[in-house]
Amino acid sequence: MKHALELTVNGTPHTVEVESRTSLLTLLREQLELTGTKRGCEEGECGGCSVLLDGALVDSCLIFAVEAQGRAVTTVEGLGDPEHLSPLQQAFAETGASQCGFCIPGILIAATALLESHADPDEETIRQGISGNLCRCTGYTRIVEAIRLAAQLRRSSG
Amino acid sequence: MREFEYRVATSVAEAVALAGQSHGPYRFLAGGTDLFLALEHGARRIERVIDLKGIPEMDRIAALPDGGYELGALVRMTDIMAHPGLRASFPALVAGAAVVGGPPIRNRATVGGNLCNASPAADASTPLLGYRAKAMVVGGSGERTIPLSALWTSPRQTCLVPGELVRAIRLPALPAGSGASFQRLTRSAMDIAGVNAAAVVTLDDQGRVADATLALGAVAPTVIDVPEIDAALHGRTVDQSTLRTVEEAARAAAQPIDDVRASADYRREMAGVLARRAVQEAAEVAVAAQAAAPQAARSAPSAAGQAGGTP
Repeated sequence: MKHALELTVNGTPHTVEVESRTSLLTLLREQLELTGTKRGCEEGECGGCSVLLDGALVDSCLIFAVEAQGRAVTTVEGLGDPEHLSPLQQAFAETGASQCGFCIPGILIAATALLESHADPDEETIRQGISGNLCRCTGYTRIVEAIRLAAQLRRSSG
Repeated sequence: MREFEYRVATSVAEAVALAGQSHGPYRFLAGGTDLFLALEHGARRIERVIDLKGIPEMDRIAALPDGGYELGALVRMTDIMAHPGLRASFPALVAGAAVVGGPPIRNRATVGGNLCNASPAADASTPLLGYRAKAMVVGGSGERTIPLSALWTSPRQTCLVPGELVRAIRLPALPAGSGASFQRLTRSAMDIAGVNAAAVVTLDDQGRVADATLALGAVAPTVIDVPEIDAALHGRTVDQSTLRTVEEAARAAAQPIDDVRASADYRREMAGVLARRAVQEAAEVAVAAQAAAPQAARSAPSAAGQAGGTP
């Protein structure tokens, strides 16, 4: 069953055709070619597919594209670009929080959601905020530092 | 995943009608955190998926005149966690909701889905049973109210017949002098409970138990109630001796299995430990609630119970 779907991704409106069973993750990666969002476990355990749906942190692998009808999606590509890093991306770069990089888009999205609701999160709050994201490489230490630094950078830039 | 027909219901009546008209097996879609995977891995071909998220009133949390709440089936874990009234009056439910999956799961997972997925380990369901919540079920022949113990029949199976869905969950107010606690045997996040427990204790003004419930998860084919706890505690104070009988009652009620998370023996032992902790903490909260609201509160039912419940 085909559906004509309208949604906004990173501020840009799109009209696409999807099947009922097409996941939001598949739509983003394969039809819209936004490959920053990753296929990890595809069962909602690893957070590699994390996006913001109307500002809320969600796993796009567990959402049908049709459920995003009329909604706004933010992917990692919407957070900034190499010439204009967001405070969070800047903090990750400065801290050296990324190793292989596979988990990072999902973690940046989770951290974005966290910093929207917590301007000055302590370590426990940060760890809770990224508890839906798995990182195989780093042991999370620098990721947590980077998010702390990003919170400071956001506060000092007003 | 096999293709299916996706339909959006904009009212409860439409959802029931879409189910009734479905030519083959259908499923209701709420948050999708369990259903998506069931469709991905399931053996049955599902003809139609009926999305309930188009129904306006189903995600509301409504305060009831008696001090309790009615939760629409589409209320999400994050909604429960954020609601000041639920945080104040039903902290064990908030504690259970707060450990379902992780943050992205909790932004989608719904209380109706948690109940109807009928996992024996469901973290929002155990406290709901402890609080004596009831499910408002609607279907082709009207609406009926059922206790949660009647909802679950076996692992991942409910008593709902074709065309029925849970519209809302009703949480009755607790009497003054009550406390509740939720306990879980678990990793820190993104885990399924090895065992979970929820206790609600009401004390009289002598500090003796006037009423008590204990619900256990992950130790039986469904989340279970332990009615023996009332006989064990009624009229007595919560002390080391009565807590021992609670522990024994919980171990006796548990019918656990061996699986990847734990052996049956370990689960049985931990059911006793968590039951003891839950009852002890619930009683401590009840004592604090009594101290905070003496005489005047006892003459009228109120939603009592301060922060209690350990994720």
